[in-house]
Formats: sequence, C-alpha cells, structure tokens
Amino acid sequence: MRKNFAVGVVAAMVVAILPVATSSVSFGAVKASNATSIKDFGGMNGLVTACKKEGKLNVITLPRDWANYGEAMDLFSKAFGVKIFDDNPDGSSAYEVQTIKTAPASKQPDVVDVGVSVLDDAVGNDIFAEYRVATWDAIPNAWKDTLNAKYYGDYAGQIAIMYDTSIPFAPKSIKDLLRPEFKGLVAISGDPTQAQQALMSVFAASVANGGSTSNIQPGIDFFKQLKANGNFVPVNGNTANFAAGAYKVVLNWNFNGPGTVAAAKQLGKNVKFVIPSDAVLQGTPYMQAINKTAPHPACARLWEEFMYSQNKGKITSQLTAADLKLPGDKLFAAILGGQNIFISGGATPIQFPTMVAKKLNIAPPASITSYAGKLAAVTPSADSQAAAKKILVAAWPNL
Amino acid sequence: MTLMTSTQDTTIRKNGGVSSLLKLTPLAPFSLIFLFFFCWPIFQILKNSLDQGKGHYGLSAYRLMFTKPYMHAFTTSLQLSFYSSLTAGVIGAVIAFYVHRSKSGFKSIIAMLSGVLANSGGVPLAFMFIAAFGAQGGVVTVLKKLGIDIYGAGFTLYSLTGLILVYSFFQIPLMVLVFTPALEGMRNEWREANNSLGGTNIQFLRWVLIPVLFPAFLASILLLFASAFSAFATARALTGGSVGLVPLVIGSLIDGNVITDQANLGDALAVGMIFVSAVVMVFYGFSLRWARGR
Repeated sequence: MRKNFAVGVVAAMVVAILPVATSSVSFGAVKASNATSIKDFGGMNGLVTACKKEGKLNVITLPRDWANYGEAMDLFSKAFGVKIFDDNPDGSSAYEVQTIKTAPASKQPDVVDVGVSVLDDAVGNDIFAEYRVATWDAIPNAWKDTLNAKYYGDYAGQIAIMYDTSIPFAPKSIKDLLRPEFKGLVAISGDPTQAQQALMSVFAASVANGGSTSNIQPGIDFFKQLKANGNFVPVNGNTANFAAGAYKVVLNWNFNGPGTVAAAKQLGKNVKFVIPSDAVLQGTPYMQAINKTAPHPACARLWEEFMYSQNKGKITSQLTAADLKLPGDKLFAAILGGQNIFISGGATPIQFPTMVAKKLNIAPPASITSYAGKLAAVTPSADSQAAAKKILVAAWPNL
Repeated sequence: MTLMTSTQDTTIRKNGGVSSLLKLTPLAPFSLIFLFFFCWPIFQILKNSLDQGKGHYGLSAYRLMFTKPYMHAFTTSLQLSFYSSLTAGVIGAVIAFYVHRSKSGFKSIIAMLSGVLANSGGVPLAFMFIAAFGAQGGVVTVLKKLGIDIYGAGFTLYSLTGLILVYSFFQIPLMVLVFTPALEGMRNEWREANNSLGGTNIQFLRWVLIPVLFPAFLASILLLFASAFSAFATARALTGGSVGLVPLVIGSLIDGNVITDQANLGDALAVGMIFVSAVVMVFYGFSLRWARGR
C-alpha cells in the first residue's frame, strides 16, 4: 500500500514535470527559444505543434479596440487553442520594456508591440530575441533591424481628431480645439513622455502651429495655451474616462476608429474620426519584438508569423470545428493574416505595398476616415522623437 | 548597605543585559525586513544617484536637479502637501472633536469608516472624482442646473486646487484616525475645574484645550504632509503628468526612458524626496515628544 502510494507520488511528479520538459523540447538541434526563423521548427507544422503544446501566450498592453487587436487575439487563441493573457492593456511602450527588465519570470511577456522611442533602451539592454518571419523581405529596411532582426515594424496610422457628435461644433483642424466651445473637452492619450500616441499628438499639434517634425516646441506651446484657456483635460483619453464624460474630443490614431466607434455605440454615444486639416501626422510604425526570456518561445514565434501573415481567410466567428482539425500549415493558411487584420482595424500594415502588388489586401472598413486634403503626410524621425522627449520631460510637468 | 545595593545593581544590570537581548530576538524578522526593504533600497538609490555611467561617480544629477524645472516640481509638491495637510488637518480635527463627544456606537462607525477611507486612493479614487467633478461630471452638471458654474468660475479638477480636493478624501479620515487618540486623553475634570474656578469656555479653549492639543495636532499634520508628499497614482491618473509633482517626474524619468544619460536624475530626485521626508519625520518626532509631555 505504502509502496504503491510512493509509486503514485513519483508518477504524479513525472506527469507534473512532463509539460515543462516538453516545452523545452528541441527541433533538430535548435531549441524554440533559440529559433531564429520558421526553418528551425522544420516548417509551419512543427511551429504550430510546438505552440499548441505550450498552449499559452503572454501579450502586454494590447487594448482590444486598438488596430483590431481584439480580433487578432481571439483568432489566434481559437485557431491554435492558446490561452492569451494580456497584461495592463492601457499601458505604455515604456511599461512594456520596464516589465521585461524587472518583472519576475511568471509575469514576463512573450511578445511586445512598442513605439520606436523605446528601442534604444530595449536594444541597449539586449532584451529581444533574434527572429525573422517568413515574410521578412516584405518589411521595408528602414523599419526593421536588418542586422540582428531584434525588432521589426508592423503597422502605422495617422493622428486623427476623435469627437463625440453631441458637441455643438465639429472640429476640422487642431487649431479649432482652441475655440471656446471646447472648454473642458479635449484630451490626449496619456503622458507624452511615456506614450507614443500622446507624443505623436503633440507633434501633430506642433506641425499644425508652425512647428515641424523636428521641432516640438510649438506643440508644447499649443497645449500650454489649451490648458490656460481651460480646454485641455489632462486625463488619459481611454474608454473608461470617455464613458465617465471626462472628455469628448481626443487626438487619437485613426486605426482606433473602428474599435472606438463600436465601443462608443455600446455606451449610447456616437463618435467620429477626422484627420485634421492643418496636420497630417503619419506615425512611425509600431515595432514587434520577441522577449529574449519569453516563457512561451514557440507561441511567441507563431504569433509573429501570424501578425506578418498576408493571408486572406477566416475570422474567429467563421472558424468551424473542421477547420480546427486541419494540420498546422493548412490551418495557418486558412485564417486571416495579421497584416489584413490591421487593415480591417483601419491601420496601414507595413507590408501594404507588397500586398497591393499581389492583390492580397482586403478592403478597409467603411467607418475609417481617409484623408482627402492636399497636405503631405509627415513623420518624425526616431532621433527627433528622442530629442522631443528630452524637452518634454522638463516642459510637460510645467504646462 | 551601600555595598549590597551596588551588587544588586550589577546583578540586575547583568540580567537586564541578557533579558534585553532575549527581548530583542522577536525583533529579528523586523530588523531583516527593515534592512532589506528600507536601508538597502535607500543605499541603492544614493549609489545610483551618484553613478554617472562608465564607472564615473559624481554630482551631475544633483546639479541637474537644482535647475528650474525640477526645483519647480519640488515647490509644487511642497505646496500641494502643505495646503492639503492644513485644510484636511483642520477639518479632520473638528470632525474628530465632535465625534469624540458623541455616543460610542457612532464613534466606532466613524472610526471604521475612517479606516477604510484613509486607505482609499489611487486610480479608482481619481476616476470617482473625474466622474463627479470633471468638466462634465455628475456634481458639476447638477450644480450648473442650479445656476452654479464652478468651471466657469475658474475651478478645474486637473489643477493643484483639484488635487487638494481629491487628497482631502483620504487625508481627512486619516486626520480623524490619528487625532482621536489625543482627544481620548482629555479629561472631563479639566473642564469642571475651569468652570468651578470661574473660567469661561473661551478661556478654557485658549488656556487649556489648545495648548494641550496643539503638539498632537502638529504631529498629525506632519503625518498628513508626508502622506500627500508621497502620493503618486491618484495624481498621475488625474493630471497625466501635466501638474509636475516630484513622484510624477520620477515616474516619467523611469517609465518614459527618456534619455539614457540622465538615468540617475530620477534617483537624485528620489534622494531629494527622502531628504524632505526625513526633515518632516524629525519634526514629527519632536512634536510627538512635546505632545507626550516633554
């Protein structure tokens, strides 16, 4: 009896250890955490099998209504039977880097989506793993780490003015926001020293007020004026604060349009997105990267393959039980690729030109506002973003 | 006789030495925690604040700290702490006084409520105030319907005044909690003595109540001051960093990863905060001693 019990305990321990052992199983000579391309898994079937075994993916600061990430997460989760944990959906890029640097192993994200302004810090601390997705060549060289493949651009958007249609005056330009009708109504998305979207909003304000993508000061002055006349509300322009009525106008990425419009409908409110007539600010692409110490290295890599897939295919609600039984490569080919999910969210995927050439792109949603004016889109370089933040860290607290 | 006493003394002292050591043993876990979570971090912050990278040590971060934008953050933080501790202190003391004189059932309810409210804070508290006192908040809208436009009159929640209002929400209950024990020490006989000697209420207040309670009042205010000085999450959620308080600036320096060559500025600001807190705590210690009767 006692002996049997002991055997039972040992068996239980073996079973308990088993999943740990399998997750570090190697493919040929390469471990999942060292894999630098899909070849190291022996193709898509190998990668899907490895990820299914892990069964989990830790993402970080991905709001569901941001560029249609909600659909991306649902689809990935359902197709590959992976549980996704999204830490701090409203957090900033800086929070992502900080988490990798300081969080315990259990809280480490597998993959991140960050603004370019934190790249120096991330690369300096060597926190990302090298990986090249299958469609690597379709990513423009300017927006990827061509040498070490530690990070790669994924999608971008333009700064739009989002407003509640119940306000008495529909804004068309950033300068409009100074009008007395907007008293206590205007917000941006967080602290520009920390959040990429907020930083780009200040840049947009600068461009609209005689500044440029290399001179952020007129943007700071604009917000100073906006605060002085009581129009600026310094709360984070997120859904919760919108629901509470803390603001009714916010500078926001146009790709948050479809998600925000839907979320606002649920609150019984109507919102519109418009690209300001005095500044067309095209953001630098958001960067994807895999955490070097990712707890689920295979799923991290499958997620990136998925985010850079140009496939047309099924979305979550269209997936059938039969689809889920398909072998890994067939299943991967059957679902809508991440690049097209970005289009459905209103963002411009980084591989858009290639997709258009191959006719792989789907149609953008009707709710997205495209810019019809004559201004050329401008983008601040990574260096001028870093310089701007240096100015902001002293200027913003004294707004 | 003298001799005997002295031997007795030594024995006592010896025993005292052993037993005081024994008495200290239960403190060991606390001392460890104190060492690891108090002394060690402070040492690290001090060290990092002097670290200029590449093995160089120096005061460059402190030189930067003493420039205008960062000194302004200290001024703002001190202003906020001063005004919020003073207003909450006075209001809290008055509430504590009336609660002290009420029935014991009511007293325990207030004590419980204060315990809960004194620990409320952070993002939920900020959100509550945004929903109530934001430009489109519930209270503001109702007041507007009644013809009182507080935003029109220049009030805004997202300013120093707004922060003082929000901080009162946890500062007043905290004052009630820390000031009540001092009131418990008051004796009814004092008033009776005053009255029987022909003293008026005003005289009682002027010559008995205020002198007796003032040290405790001061100590409580200093405690509130420290609590306001270090608060972070509420202010951050409410102002998005646009009212520069020292903790918020440190937050953006660390979280924002702004410039690598200023990485130690955050540590220097933290040392500045530790210095201010230490000064406050020294005064707190003095006023506590004064309150206990010198």
